[in-house]
Amino acid sequence: MATRSIPRTDLGASHEGFLRHRRFLWLKVALILSLLALLGYALIDVQPRPNGGSAYGYALGTVAVLLILWLTLLGVRKRAMTRGRWSLKAWTSAHVYLGLSLVVVATLHTGFQFGWNVHTFAYALMILVIASGVYGIVAYARLPRQLGASRSDMTRPQMIDALVKLDRQLATAAQPLGHEEARIVQSSLDENAFGGGLWRRLSGRHSRCRTARALAEARRRLAVATGDRAQALEAVAALLERKAAALARLRGHLRIKALLEIWLYVHVPITFALLAALAAHIVSVFFYW
Amino acid sequence: MSFLIRTVSHSAEGREIVRTRRVEGERLTVGRDPACEIHLTDLAVALRHVTVERDPGRLRVAVEPGLSVELNGRKASVGTLELATGGDIVLGGHTLRFMPTAAGSDEIAVAVERTGEGEAKLDKSAERLFSLASVLPGKRGLAWLLALLVLAIGLAWPIKAYYDRRERAETFAKFHADEIWSSGSLSSAHAGLKGNCTACHVEPFEAVRDTACKTCHTKVHDHSNPYRLARARPDLGRWRRIELAFKEKFDIPPGRCVECHTEHEGPQAMPATAQRFCADCHGDLKSKLPDTKLPNAGDFGRSHPSFSPVVIAGWSGDRPQLQRLSLAARPREDSGLKFPHDLHLSGTGGVAQMARRLGGPYGFGQKLECKDCHDPTPDGARFQPVDMEQDCAMCHDLAFDRSGGTTRTLRHGEPAQVVAELLDFYRGRGAARPAVLAPAARRRPGDAPDLRNRIRFERGPGSADRAIRSIFSPGGACFDCHRVESPPDGGGSLNFRIRPVAFPIRYLHKGWFDHRPHATQSCSSCHSAERSGAASDLLIPDVTSCRTCHGGEGSSKPVPSSCAMCHDYHMDAGAPSMLIRQKVKGKRSDRRVAEARR
Repeated sequence: MATRSIPRTDLGASHEGFLRHRRFLWLKVALILSLLALLGYALIDVQPRPNGGSAYGYALGTVAVLLILWLTLLGVRKRAMTRGRWSLKAWTSAHVYLGLSLVVVATLHTGFQFGWNVHTFAYALMILVIASGVYGIVAYARLPRQLGASRSDMTRPQMIDALVKLDRQLATAAQPLGHEEARIVQSSLDENAFGGGLWRRLSGRHSRCRTARALAEARRRLAVATGDRAQALEAVAALLERKAAALARLRGHLRIKALLEIWLYVHVPITFALLAALAAHIVSVFFYW
Repeated sequence: MSFLIRTVSHSAEGREIVRTRRVEGERLTVGRDPACEIHLTDLAVALRHVTVERDPGRLRVAVEPGLSVELNGRKASVGTLELATGGDIVLGGHTLRFMPTAAGSDEIAVAVERTGEGEAKLDKSAERLFSLASVLPGKRGLAWLLALLVLAIGLAWPIKAYYDRRERAETFAKFHADEIWSSGSLSSAHAGLKGNCTACHVEPFEAVRDTACKTCHTKVHDHSNPYRLARARPDLGRWRRIELAFKEKFDIPPGRCVECHTEHEGPQAMPATAQRFCADCHGDLKSKLPDTKLPNAGDFGRSHPSFSPVVIAGWSGDRPQLQRLSLAARPREDSGLKFPHDLHLSGTGGVAQMARRLGGPYGFGQKLECKDCHDPTPDGARFQPVDMEQDCAMCHDLAFDRSGGTTRTLRHGEPAQVVAELLDFYRGRGAARPAVLAPAARRRPGDAPDLRNRIRFERGPGSADRAIRSIFSPGGACFDCHRVESPPDGGGSLNFRIRPVAFPIRYLHKGWFDHRPHATQSCSSCHSAERSGAASDLLIPDVTSCRTCHGGEGSSKPVPSSCAMCHDYHMDAGAPSMLIRQKVKGKRSDRRVAEARR
């Protein structure tokens, strides 16, 4: 009887994420590396206290700097996707776990001696890079689902299109309004849906949203308006409400996208700052040996 | 009269589209109201925003109250435009451009153009708008900027500071950028060198050399001859050999000061040297240096040799011969004095009786105590040599006569004077013969056979010789405590001599002992003076006595004692640095001893 199982091809295997790659092979490697480092730290009695300048300290430092250089190479490696043993996925898996083991290796290298100096600065940068990387993994694991949901089955151009159409309708609907009211509507039209800088993107808080203000103002005026003006105001208020909803959807989407991207703006530039700080750390140590 | 209105708009490709119409009349109203001559669907424009009216040769511009326009680039609510030159009116996002018109012309041309922000602000295809790249600078630029900044501040600036220091001897109080390289505070001993990096780091990329240390530390002596020191080292393990190979490769001489005296480890004192550091060589020194005079020494509780105090082994003429002798060989000391400790410390017998009788003024109790004769040195660490006048004379007084209210005393330490004094006394000068000293006076039963009575008793013609000989003979005042040399000229000479007396003030020269921390203990718990019948008994306790309380570094004894508690690596004259630091910190082990005893 013929088996129906699907042959395990390379493609089939690639359904496994980079974290579980080859049954956590790189997690195991990283754990062994960390344990060895800890073991050495516990067994080697450095006088008067553990420090980076002891023989073991130099050894840990060398391992750490080689790791950092290799981890940085992911930026080069990722631009060429391949499969197999040294696939990009394997590389990423190793990048994640070996990067995490660096916390152990480099912290032991410091001998827990910290200060306001170039050495601790390099360490702090490294921790920042690793922390942003950890954030990145968490973000990649959780946020893409939310990102899809936040679009409510619209494509990004459709989201923009909806706003543009609403703006156009608003401009038309506001024509009968007096100057004051027209200006209120105009302020909503002038608002850039994508404006507002980094903080607003990440927090999703737009407390000074001009559309929301215009809507509130339109409703206030509607309450006391009569006749044609009331009719026009009502139309404008309804449109503003729809625009506010469209904006909220877009901003929610932008927020998740920002949360998904922000870590790379820390991870990558700080990595290069770290390489520079490492150069300063190593040169300074031997300059004043 | 008419206005020629040309509405200019742009196609998606940017092509200009012009629509022209004619408005008859003298006035032109502009606004969002469809009834206006120029109707602008611009929400920034009021329903009836501005009215332009023809006046001969010019145009009068009147803006709705409370509003304004830009008239030829200036904000205005009312104004005029010269027809000959033309002009602009900007309101909202629109510009009305009035063309220059000849004086007699009927028609005024006006171009209406949307000049403000375009309607379609959002470009649908702009995926980039959704990315953070639209609100943040590029990652690559940021990376370069940060890296260069870090290199400039963390590397270039301090290197410049180093060369600045070399060129100009600046004050250290000033901040130098190379201080940001310091991996930690200097030890408390070197706190004064803070910020003075080049004091130790002389040459770039050269590990700190001993020469830098020796610019200040000119008097520290080596632990031993460096060649012997090198030979005494234990065999190098594999790791040590690798380490040594590295050091050789990078030109770091072994055995530098900084190997033990590590720096930049925080503002602390140097920790006491670990026992292992000493025991590595001294534990098996004999096998490495067969000719060494030092016995092997390791853990104090298990493998410390007997102490070798410096004792007076003999005399060369009047000079004491000092010699280090191991207590294991039960050496005897030749101080030149006769003194039975047991007799003096006994609770019964004449000494105790006398102590009770003299009592108060001298602080004696029911019997003599060590402290009644032994006075500590001012620092309390040791004891002063016993002094006859201070420590013995209260009992062993040398008075022999009372002249009026004054007691005459033989001069201690000057036998020739004693002889002269007594000769003089017996020669009988004038009326110096009180009735109490009459020849009839004799020893009364129960009187102590003291010097005075003896002299009294033996007084008479030719008795001076006898009296002098008797005090230098067995039973005499001098002879009881001192070694007497008979007159070298023999026969009738009275030229008696006393052998000199000497006491070492410090017995253990290679180790440190301080009596003060041991004040909680009784003297006899270490010094078995109560059982010593001769002054030649060396009462220095041996290592077994110390081990009652002291054990090795990891010992469970009340006072775990590493080598550093008694020995220093470089110096052995004073208190070991470990003890000095303990005292400074107030960490003393007395309390533990007291608790252990309880």
